[in-house]
Amino acid sequence: MPESILSIRNLTKTYDNGVTAVDGVSFDVDRGEFLAIIGLSGSGKSTLLRCINRLHKPTAGIIEFDGIDVLGLPPSEVRALRTQIAMIFQHFNLIERHTVMSNVLMGRLGHTSTLSSLFNKFAPHDREQAMDCLELVGIADKAHVRADQLSGGQKQRVAIARALMQQPRVLLADEPVASLDPATCHSVMQYLRKVNREMGITVLCNLHFLSLVRQYADRVIAMKSGEIVYCGQPDAIDDDWFARIYGEQARQVEIQ
Amino acid sequence: MNRNAGKRIFFDAIVFGYLLVTAIIVCSHAAEPELLVYLRAGLFVLCCVAGGTVAMILRARGIQTLGGALFERPQISDSTAPRTWYKTFWGGSLIFLFLVTFVMGWVVTDMDLYELVDEHALNGAGRLFAALASPQFDILPTTILAAIETVFIAFMATVIAVPVAFFLSFLSAKNIMGGSAPSFVCYGALRTVLNIIRSVEALIWAIIASVWVGIGPFAGMLALMIHSVAALAKQYSELVECVDEGPIEAIQATGATAVQTVRFAVIPQIVLPYISFTIYRWDINVRMATIIGLVGGGGIGEILIQYQGQAMWHEVGCIIVVIAVIVWLMDTASAYIREAIK
Repeated sequence: MPESILSIRNLTKTYDNGVTAVDGVSFDVDRGEFLAIIGLSGSGKSTLLRCINRLHKPTAGIIEFDGIDVLGLPPSEVRALRTQIAMIFQHFNLIERHTVMSNVLMGRLGHTSTLSSLFNKFAPHDREQAMDCLELVGIADKAHVRADQLSGGQKQRVAIARALMQQPRVLLADEPVASLDPATCHSVMQYLRKVNREMGITVLCNLHFLSLVRQYADRVIAMKSGEIVYCGQPDAIDDDWFARIYGEQARQVEIQ
Repeated sequence: MNRNAGKRIFFDAIVFGYLLVTAIIVCSHAAEPELLVYLRAGLFVLCCVAGGTVAMILRARGIQTLGGALFERPQISDSTAPRTWYKTFWGGSLIFLFLVTFVMGWVVTDMDLYELVDEHALNGAGRLFAALASPQFDILPTTILAAIETVFIAFMATVIAVPVAFFLSFLSAKNIMGGSAPSFVCYGALRTVLNIIRSVEALIWAIIASVWVGIGPFAGMLALMIHSVAALAKQYSELVECVDEGPIEAIQATGATAVQTVRFAVIPQIVLPYISFTIYRWDINVRMATIIGLVGGGGIGEILIQYQGQAMWHEVGCIIVVIAVIVWLMDTASAYIREAIK
């Protein structure tokens, strides 16, 4: 078994409008690692994550997930791949009009037949597992509340529970705390760390704040205009590197 | 860029050609039948060719025409403040175009303000209004029965149209069908067919249906149903096209199939606006069912045309009162329900 769970080589994504969001990016992700990706808005972080689970189709390059060539997969196997790579989003992307329970169960869609899911039928043990996942993120008491009744932090925890329902091996987190206030922000980050440490799920997390990166990440990649400009230990990013990544005018902001 | 230039020249050619034709007709004092002869002789096409030349010259000289403003928007430069729109060439030509068309319209529609206030005409209108204002309520029971038929025609047309339109709306939504080439072809074909069906008024469908299944409420229902399918599918698909992409991404990321994605990420977002549009469509259908009765689609329109044909204006007055009450009731009810489910 190879040491790295994800291996990315020369990944390039050019959109139809001619914008190259990711430009020849190469890196490896170790099993069980908490990898943070930082960079300005528009530096290609989100596109990079979406290439990994094939929400976007890369223009060129190689992505290997556990030895499988991700870019050569036919559509049905892309779905099978996605069941192993869960994702959470900046805007949570819950189905607002459904209950928390129903939202978490959607994490099983990849393992549920289309016909039974049409009638909202999930296996009984899926419901038990959904309760377990909700308990894990400390929100089991809200199981039968509609998702639009929750606060931002609660919504993101539901999204984590939905991701855990997939029993994934990798969790992609696209700016998971960017729409949250500083206090809730840490709560969500701590759940991500818990998922990473206790369940052994590899986490790739796009972040804005370097202080969060230093606190939670094992390793950090910095992107600028679609390219990797830094790769290494979070503590090694000094003021000089910070200016290079974020531009001269940027100032570090601490999140307590 | 080149395609836009083509669109611009084509548009400008028609605008200038139209102005040129108008000028020629005015200058030659041509009467209306002759206007048609001119058109048939291809004068319009010739003028458009001439207009196209003008358009190309203007484009080469860098003057912003109406077509340019529509299809070839220049990059906004920070250095020069843009001129107020009506002081520009395209703004001026827009105003000129509107004035010319208004005058042409006045002539073509035989506008005559004198006829409106002519003494004889006023007397006739006065008698008619007096009769309508004193309705003959003896025929009220028949009228109400016909009115009930009208409401049922509209109801059945809407109920049958909804599932068909619901199904078609996904197949004619760009964000659902844009993924691959074959599905996009299906989207384009379906859109075209629906547009054609929709552009044929329900009144025409009623004439076709009354020949097809015979005069009566069934023909009216069929006509409204066909028109409703196309209209609802269009409105529904527009709702599908403006759903939030976020949940779609999230559901796809779980490894869901396309059908599952529609079921869990799209449908929850559109259910309420769908219901709202459906009730509104029923409301529209009740009003249309009245009109459709005039051409043999059954219901209250059918008896309206009978009494009107015999110039029984007091009875017509009664029918109009009933129609007004129904339309008002439907309008209020549908507005209330649509507000309640927001």
